[in-house]
Amino acid sequence: MKRPIVQAVILVLASLVLALAANALASRQRKVVLAGWYPNATTVAPRTESSQVSATSSQPAAVVTPAPAPVVPTTTTLAPPNVGRASARPDGLKPVPHTAPANSQPPTANSVDISKFQQHPDKPYIEVAFDDVNALHAKGVLFLDARRTSVYEQGHIAGARPFSVWESDLDEKINKLFEERSSPEQQALPIVAYCSGGDCEDSHMLAQKLWGIQFNNVYVYKDGFPDWQKHGGAVRTRATP
Amino acid sequence: MKWLGRSWFTQPWLTIRVQLALGALFVIAALPKIADPPSFAHMIYNYRLVPANLINIMALTMPWVELLAGLALILGVWKRAALMLIGAMLVVFIVAIGINLGRGNAIDCGCFNVADAGKSYEQRIFDMKADVLRDLGMLLMVAQVWVAETSRSAAAKPPL
Repeated sequence: MKRPIVQAVILVLASLVLALAANALASRQRKVVLAGWYPNATTVAPRTESSQVSATSSQPAAVVTPAPAPVVPTTTTLAPPNVGRASARPDGLKPVPHTAPANSQPPTANSVDISKFQQHPDKPYIEVAFDDVNALHAKGVLFLDARRTSVYEQGHIAGARPFSVWESDLDEKINKLFEERSSPEQQALPIVAYCSGGDCEDSHMLAQKLWGIQFNNVYVYKDGFPDWQKHGGAVRTRATP
Repeated sequence: MKWLGRSWFTQPWLTIRVQLALGALFVIAALPKIADPPSFAHMIYNYRLVPANLINIMALTMPWVELLAGLALILGVWKRAALMLIGAMLVVFIVAIGINLGRGNAIDCGCFNVADAGKSYEQRIFDMKADVLRDLGMLLMVAQVWVAETSRSAAAKPPL
């Protein structure tokens, strides 16, 4: 009986070595960091009404000019505070204390009116619906696609960047974004994160990561890419934004 | 009625087929997970049972354990070790799916496919129940090969 146990341990150790070697040789999209950072990993999310998830889209690009919409935030759900604070942050992302916004109106490059979308340093994100997302998109706000890059390449919101929370280069991308937006004024600009809607939480996780490094004005498009397509929003189907 | 008893259960013609089928099932199950660890990590996350910092290492290692154990069964080497690992994994799968059924947390099991199938809540719950039954069936296959192997070893020992 002792010998099979030793053999089983050898099989497990061999598996571990093969797994680490395969991960080291894998492409960026197939690689994972060894110690992942996933808030709420052992907490069951409440069931959403729309549990139908459409993670992929093979529809052709529908380039539609978004209709201007009044900027009236239809805030529905606030993220719980103190989730994913600096103490739980991944390596390479320096903790930055959260501070209250210096002014009530986030500055923008073209001075358009997105004053309703103010910083919220006490919570990682605010969930928004299509009307708000469409308004933010029309103003050229940064969109981040939290789905897998392979899914992103099949179709994404025009201008969105791939920021999959499951791939190994996420921290690198976030650090690069932080370097791009290093001043408090730039960090006060709104950012929209989205994934596949339904029970998809990738965008929420991404928002919590961003909140951890001083991005205090992040919005989660709760119904995600399927809703954007349903409303005829501008879509791109290539590897670049 | 001997064919209904232990001797029928441990027939070599049955054992070799069960052993090969079980090994093949685990090899087939391992391949998509090895090909796409981030998707499998997402599947493990959805179970809401594994601490965050263990999810990725588990997603990397478990498919290789499945592959090596499956290959060991197919090749007929280290059979008991492979059966122990496969049996342990099946028990873990059954318990994990059972806990989530109890919690009403509808998930894709990620057993043979790591792509999001876009199922409804009800479809997922139904599939989870089917997965538990399938895993119980595979556990029976493990028991069959284990018992047959034990009987064969006992018969091969010279009398004292």
